[in-house]
Amino acid sequence: MNAWLSRYRPRYLRSLTYMLQATEYDIGDYVEWYGRTRDFSRVEQRKSLVKTPKALVVLALAWVIELGLLALAVGLVWTDNVPFCRVLALAVVIVAPFATGYLLVVPLLVVRFLIQQPLEWLITRKSRKILMQHPGLKIAVAGSFGKTSMREILRIVLAEGKRVAAPPHSYNTPLGISRFIRGLSGEEEVLIFELGEYYPGDVRKLCQLVNPQVGIITGVNEAHLGKFKSLDRTAATIFELADWIGGGPIYVNGESDLARKSARPGHLIYDRDGAGDWQVKNASTGLEGTKFTLTHGKEHLSISSHLLGLHQIGPLAAAAAVASSLGLTDRQIEAGLNAVTPFEHRMQPRTDSTGVTTLDDSYNGNPDGARAVISFLGEIQDHRRFYVTPGLVEMGKRSAQVHREIGRELARAGIERVVLIRDSATPFIAEALEAAHFKGEIMWYDDGPAAFAALPHLTVAGDVVLLQNDWPDQYS
Amino acid sequence: MKKTVGVIFGGRTTEHDVSIITAHIPIIQALEASGQFDPWPIYITKSGLWYCDQAMNKLEFFKNPDYPAVLAKQKPVQLSLGDGLTLSWPGLRSKSLKLDVVFPSMHGTYGEDGTLMGLLRLAGVPYVGCDLESSAIAMDKVLTKQVTEPLGIPSVPYVWFTASDWPTQRADILARITKRLQYPLFVKPVHLGSSIAITKVGSPKELENAIEVALHYDDKVIVEQSVEDLIEVTLPIMGNDELTLALVEQPVAKFFDFEEKYLKGGGKKSSGANSEYSHLPAQISDKLTARVNELGRAAYRSIGASGTARLDFLIDSKTNQVYLNEINTLPGSLYHHNWQAAGISGVDLVTKLVALAEERFRDTEAKTYTFNSEILKVVGGPKLG
Repeated sequence: MNAWLSRYRPRYLRSLTYMLQATEYDIGDYVEWYGRTRDFSRVEQRKSLVKTPKALVVLALAWVIELGLLALAVGLVWTDNVPFCRVLALAVVIVAPFATGYLLVVPLLVVRFLIQQPLEWLITRKSRKILMQHPGLKIAVAGSFGKTSMREILRIVLAEGKRVAAPPHSYNTPLGISRFIRGLSGEEEVLIFELGEYYPGDVRKLCQLVNPQVGIITGVNEAHLGKFKSLDRTAATIFELADWIGGGPIYVNGESDLARKSARPGHLIYDRDGAGDWQVKNASTGLEGTKFTLTHGKEHLSISSHLLGLHQIGPLAAAAAVASSLGLTDRQIEAGLNAVTPFEHRMQPRTDSTGVTTLDDSYNGNPDGARAVISFLGEIQDHRRFYVTPGLVEMGKRSAQVHREIGRELARAGIERVVLIRDSATPFIAEALEAAHFKGEIMWYDDGPAAFAALPHLTVAGDVVLLQNDWPDQYS
Repeated sequence: MKKTVGVIFGGRTTEHDVSIITAHIPIIQALEASGQFDPWPIYITKSGLWYCDQAMNKLEFFKNPDYPAVLAKQKPVQLSLGDGLTLSWPGLRSKSLKLDVVFPSMHGTYGEDGTLMGLLRLAGVPYVGCDLESSAIAMDKVLTKQVTEPLGIPSVPYVWFTASDWPTQRADILARITKRLQYPLFVKPVHLGSSIAITKVGSPKELENAIEVALHYDDKVIVEQSVEDLIEVTLPIMGNDELTLALVEQPVAKFFDFEEKYLKGGGKKSSGANSEYSHLPAQISDKLTARVNELGRAAYRSIGASGTARLDFLIDSKTNQVYLNEINTLPGSLYHHNWQAAGISGVDLVTKLVALAEERFRDTEAKTYTFNSEILKVVGGPKLG
């Protein structure tokens, strides 16, 4: 009853606006969330509405629709106060919040088709022209996971010998990239772009904008499978980058099964054993970082990276290969690789005053990434290990399979405590843990904030806590 | 089925606010984090009214300056003693809740001095921490010395007197202090914790004022000789019969005062007791650490402590002499930062303390306190007793 009544609270319209903002005004995601949600009183859990002009306009529209429907109800009674009109008015009042939830998307669709899309077309067209005249080498990074890390590794390594620019944060949409392009000076020697993909054709559109000459494919997996519907479509979309570049250099992450299988003759495979002519030897990893020797002909580069996990070696080796092809010296490459530090929310370590080390991997929400970090945890000795997760999102029909596999990996790695957030995904992890006779402890919490509040009281000096993925509110 | 745990805090004491912090950090938060307990916050106002509402499980409730007004709109909770402790909320939607365990979190007067423990013993409910007798002994710094010294646990030289002695025997008291003790001195209220109203006195002219300050807060005052080449350390201990020792901890400040302990937490707002004011473990020799551990065990047992207590020691760094300073039966925030460094998490700490409370309760219940007598039949006769 309380859940039903939550639609009649003043905060309801703000919650709708917040969710549109949280889904980046993706009508499909919003409608799916709205159809699934029963209780609207606990929507803003992890974040809250940021009062941007766009959000305020949407909120005002929501009020206009809601008040308009209520005015309609009053009007019905006012014009003809017969029982039928009174019943109809009551029905309008009852239905008003439900109708507002859906009617709100109508003006958004109108604005999108009549204003936003034409405007975007004009902006990207202008940006494409700017980029066509830019003399810098354009490198594009595509993949279901690891794009931002790859982009940053390249940016840091290549900067040892070239003037490099790359969009900040996760700017990987046409508008985000266009904003970056408008800020270029024209003197950059290398530009690195991250290409985001949500639907088939997305990577091709971005290639039309960027016109890359070198491509890096970081992997293909179940990320956004809910939107792609099949892994084949995901792979085809990501390999739109290879289609665009044609015979140019394409580096493919061989540690991603699906990417390796989609690679074509002539593509350069990189993994923890090396990339192209660059071979990796004597690799080891731990909480202090990852060490290995990179050999290239007779040259031996001693790499001591701050990145955690053997799975980081492949992208580092790929960056060395790209840098070498662009003429950087071995010493520059070595300095660049050693300068790379963990990226925000991606296996980012922090040891607090109580001696507990937290590995923040909250931006890593894909099966390959999860497998890699569990493998890393398995390597760590003499520490009590906590694995905290709400599971992975947008896994579509493969959700059960993906999460059971995570459970099996955790059991194999011998993790001491698995902290699970109650949702649709984590029961599969628990099921697989129990089936694998997991010897550690499974702890359940109702939501992320409750688990995060509990962690300081569960841990002691020397413990390692891995935070795997974070569920945005639209998936709660 | 989760165990219902009543956490009693607040109260008519100078340490009211500290008590609120301890109740939440770590007690209620750790009880919640464990997933095994259903904590019920029982808050006693400064005027002595008892309230219980699970909204108070959040420390944020007490950060609202208007929280007394919010509570004033509620009806105080009622207690039923006898077959355990039952909370009752009167009114149209009345309800009651029997507590499985009580976790006292009241520092100082009425809470830490044994008063609350007496109530809980009468109620017949397991409760965490020291019992009535050991709490009462530890609360009185003079009584603590009088119990521990004969057992070979050293104390610094001291003089004590009561508020009623002071106006009539002022000259005698000052003469005794001059004769027995060497400056500088510490003047302390005997029953207060959290270092409230403790003054260090460097000369006779400061002494009387310091005594007046201490008497403002207490009716019994102790004047102790200061250890000048001082290393101050503290040791939390947990257990009933089998004892578990945390780490010997060394404060960085000259002596623990209220502000050092609770207010200078820097940005570590959620850590409760300040965890940046000490060396953990203490920077002392293994031999001294072993001596502190040995005296800690002896002192803990000498007052009959159970559950947990924190023992403070003074070390003369020139002579390596170790003195027991005082025993605290409800360490601020349970000294969970120390336990955490010793490998015991907040959840493990509260879980173990609840188990110890239940263990002691079972032992107590197994004792025989009543017997059948014929005395009532003969009362009124020619001779009784």
